[in-house]
Amino acid sequence: MTWNQNPRLVDLLAGGYALGTLQGGARRRFEKLLARRPDLAEAVARWNERMAPALLALPPQAPAPATWHAIEQRLGFPAPGALVPWWKRLLQPAPAGALALGLMVGVLLPSLWQAQHGGPDAPASTQLPESYVGVLGLADGRPGLIVSSLRQGRTVDIKRVAAVPVPAGQVLYLWSLDVAGKASPVAPLPQGAFVHLQLGAPSETVFAKAVELAVSVEPEGSSPAMPSSAYVYRGLCGKLWRVP
Amino acid sequence: MTAAALPADELPDAVAQLLSRVVLRDTSAFQRLYQLVASRLLAVAVRVVQDRALAEDVLQEVFVHLWNRPQTGAPGQALSLSWLCVVTRNRAIDALRKRRPETPLHWRDADGEEQVHDAAAEGGSPLELLLAEEDGSRLGRCMGQIDSEPRSALLLVYYEGLTHAELAQRLARPLGTVKAWMRRSLARLRDCMESCA
Repeated sequence: MTWNQNPRLVDLLAGGYALGTLQGGARRRFEKLLARRPDLAEAVARWNERMAPALLALPPQAPAPATWHAIEQRLGFPAPGALVPWWKRLLQPAPAGALALGLMVGVLLPSLWQAQHGGPDAPASTQLPESYVGVLGLADGRPGLIVSSLRQGRTVDIKRVAAVPVPAGQVLYLWSLDVAGKASPVAPLPQGAFVHLQLGAPSETVFAKAVELAVSVEPEGSSPAMPSSAYVYRGLCGKLWRVP
Repeated sequence: MTAAALPADELPDAVAQLLSRVVLRDTSAFQRLYQLVASRLLAVAVRVVQDRALAEDVLQEVFVHLWNRPQTGAPGQALSLSWLCVVTRNRAIDALRKRRPETPLHWRDADGEEQVHDAAAEGGSPLELLLAEEDGSRLGRCMGQIDSEPRSALLLVYYEGLTHAELAQRLARPLGTVKAWMRRSLARLRDCMESCA
């Protein structure tokens, strides 16, 4: 039995790695294994969690205002009071790629619909029905998921544009986010490139407060009250109907 | 940027939610996250580097990196307040290592007085701080079961990122002794914390 098959030894080495005493060649070998052995990564994460209270117990110290200003400057955030173009304010919370796709869907879809069903003077019945449409992006900004549902419907159509890895025993879970970013659970998503989700209530009830939609990875069979992991998809939730 | 208060028990959930939004490039979540955790992360950086200006630089690096590459460096670990503290500690240790050649850990000053790079923690010893914290009490209790010298060694390693060799030099103990202390301390800590879980 080699060291990396002995769980107690693996855990101690993970502790040495997390604390920093595992050095030199041993550290490099451990790091190589870390990249392909989830159990080692979990052991390191466990040590980090065990020791973190030692950091959280330290009395807080307020940073100088200059530190935040330096961060803003380095990241190119607008200075307080600076004029931000209206379109940037509108688009800020969503990844650029997803928004690009959203705009494309918004502009092209009606045109394509009209091309198939008649010209601009075609009767009102050719217009899209009142619907919720969400175009969700991946963390890197690429478009990932298109979610749509009739306003009064109970079925949500989901088209996967880009897949994300979902570990065994886990599922993708759909969330509705209100204007404050508070997440409300909707339902787990079935697996597949084009799937349908049945809602227990009309979309208008489920998505009444939705400003954005997001998807996290959750344990299979769970009913989470809030996301237990980072969102893997997120984007604006559009309400495709005329507001009187 | 002013700090915004939040009850301590609500902080971890709030931070986890904000981090998940930061991953998706939400600037308002990023700002709010800074308001909530910057003072805690600065405390971590100050404890490690023991230099306020350098600690502020570390804090800046942590947040710039968080915005630019929020999903890196956490294999197997959820994005959380604990993770942010660990990231800050590791960055602070990197900063300290870069600076160490010009700042020895142990030296004699111009008057011949022996000096050690180890500022006293504000508001009590690390163990006292841990025992006072609800979340840290389990770690504090388990730390309390480790003998005094090995425990100090473990905390020096954790707070200052000392290697075995640096630890042996700092504590004026043989290298083999401090290695054995660390090995035994980690094993005792793990067994204690698992039995408490």
